[in-house]
Amino acid sequence: MQNWQKGALIAVASAAVTLAVSQVLRDQTAGQAPGNAVVRTADGRPDLNGIWQAVGTAHWNLQDHQARGGPVLELGATFAIPAGLGVVEGNEIPYQPWAAARQKENYDNWLARDPEVKCYLPGLPRATYMPYPFQILQTGTSDILMAYEYASASRVITMGEAEPPPVDSWMGQSVGRWEGDTLVVDVTGFNDQTWFDRAGNFHSEALHLVERFTPVHADLLDYRVTIEDPKVFTRPWTIQVPLYRRRDAVVQLLEFKCVEFVEELMYGHLRKKTGDEAPFGAARLRWP
Amino acid sequence: MRTRTRLSLALAAALVALALAAAAAQNQNGEGSAEWTPPRTPDGQPDLQGIWTSYTATPFEVPDASDNPALYSGDPDGTGRGTGPSSFLNDTIDRKLTKGRSLVVDPPNGRVPIMSWAEERRTYKLLHIQDHWENHTAWERCITRGVPGGIFPTGYGAGYQILQGPGYVAIVYEMIHEARIIPLDGRPHAGSSIRLWNGDSRGRWEGDTLVVDITNYNDKGSLATNAASQRVRAIPQSEALHVVERFTRVDENTIDYEATIEDPKVFTAPWRVAMPLHREPDYQIFEYACHEGNLAIPNTLSAGRARDKAGATRRTP
Repeated sequence: MQNWQKGALIAVASAAVTLAVSQVLRDQTAGQAPGNAVVRTADGRPDLNGIWQAVGTAHWNLQDHQARGGPVLELGATFAIPAGLGVVEGNEIPYQPWAAARQKENYDNWLARDPEVKCYLPGLPRATYMPYPFQILQTGTSDILMAYEYASASRVITMGEAEPPPVDSWMGQSVGRWEGDTLVVDVTGFNDQTWFDRAGNFHSEALHLVERFTPVHADLLDYRVTIEDPKVFTRPWTIQVPLYRRRDAVVQLLEFKCVEFVEELMYGHLRKKTGDEAPFGAARLRWP
Repeated sequence: MRTRTRLSLALAAALVALALAAAAAQNQNGEGSAEWTPPRTPDGQPDLQGIWTSYTATPFEVPDASDNPALYSGDPDGTGRGTGPSSFLNDTIDRKLTKGRSLVVDPPNGRVPIMSWAEERRTYKLLHIQDHWENHTAWERCITRGVPGGIFPTGYGAGYQILQGPGYVAIVYEMIHEARIIPLDGRPHAGSSIRLWNGDSRGRWEGDTLVVDITNYNDKGSLATNAASQRVRAIPQSEALHVVERFTRVDENTIDYEATIEDPKVFTAPWRVAMPLHREPDYQIFEYACHEGNLAIPNTLSAGRARDKAGATRRTP
């Protein structure tokens, strides 16, 4: 596709999303109690400060998926996989043919290939809708911190201009701006190591995200991401995942430093055996 | 005549402006000036925001004849291939590093009062890193450099970004990517069953000083992980560890950082570290994806298994 065509397509797509969001906002705010209106900072921006979390099953699979047993027989129902409706607009991820085959292969080899199994940095947008809270710290001046409980991942969103990313990275480089009440974050500079979910949906290092965080009311963010990667997809596509404010009486980000949970898995075969180790049970593994 | 008056008025105004600017600049530099007050964030906190580094040429402790630097840097055989990250500070290019007597300022002899069991434990672990990953520090395991250890100097990757929002101060640590979020709202510490690698931080402002009280540590980490911390590297921490940090911005480009450390199971007395953090606006924090590329652990362990197989015995110092 020519660059101008791609640009036009993205422009049209984002215009459509903007229209859709404003419609949703109108619909949702119509019945809103005034006390629940969007909270604002001293300088009039929406105040996104707080601890947020997605609630759905997007972390399992961005697309429609049925409930099914988990991969370890002995875990029974406790670690089985819940059903969920897809969060992809149109419920189709527009893979190029080779990439569709790769996604299927990833799914079949989930435990061997999913970077989450090894506690690797989650990348984006996956970090946002993993089943862990994350905290937004909006400074009064410019930068915005998003800190994720999972693996101590975080990113600082530079507001305004930024140099091109110096190197590829797991979490990419985030550059933000305000469009009305929407925080728009442009993310580039990714490597090709992260996934979108536990179903093997993936991307290349050409990944480019445009994230849009729009407050619907004090406790709800409309989160939409347009995902573009010309090496893997035939066109940009969009997901929509609502983010809810954690309203627990007491809430703080704790540690999910999962490296220590995967060391036996990754290095156990290299450990000096003393004979005193507590033995592992013979769990039965089956996937897919 | 009128033109000349106007000109001299303009000149006088310019001179006054210059003088004011010079005075302001002097205040901004404020080296040693007690009158310097930090700028405020929009919500009224003293402003610590920006990019800071902790590079220094000051040794952690005052050296002593009994020290065994090769051991502390994870190189007991003296092969020059220690497991301690770049045993000392090599990232000194263009930096005018401060060099003092020791970062440990209390007790006055500059030596940390470590109990002997803790030194023995440290020595055992450093001599057995080829047996088990748990004998490595949490740094080599890519878990954390700890708190306060994460701010102690190291040879590279010692960049920090401080961000402040209503009710919070956050410190983003370059090395092993921590985003440490410190609440300022006076809430109590988490319940005692919550044990954390980096402890549970609660902050408050005492005048222009940010004071952070840290408890709820687990007993799996170590207070300092990097070779630049010399004898203190890999000394274990217990659940009784209690740290109080103080951050005071004393001029435009300097935060005076202090940490008072008490752990009655590990140290015979509380002790204190004092060191500057330097503002380096041009320093770029890179992603430190540590675990994702960690070959140190599998390589060390597989070397140990190869050694076992060859029946070789290791030389103990």
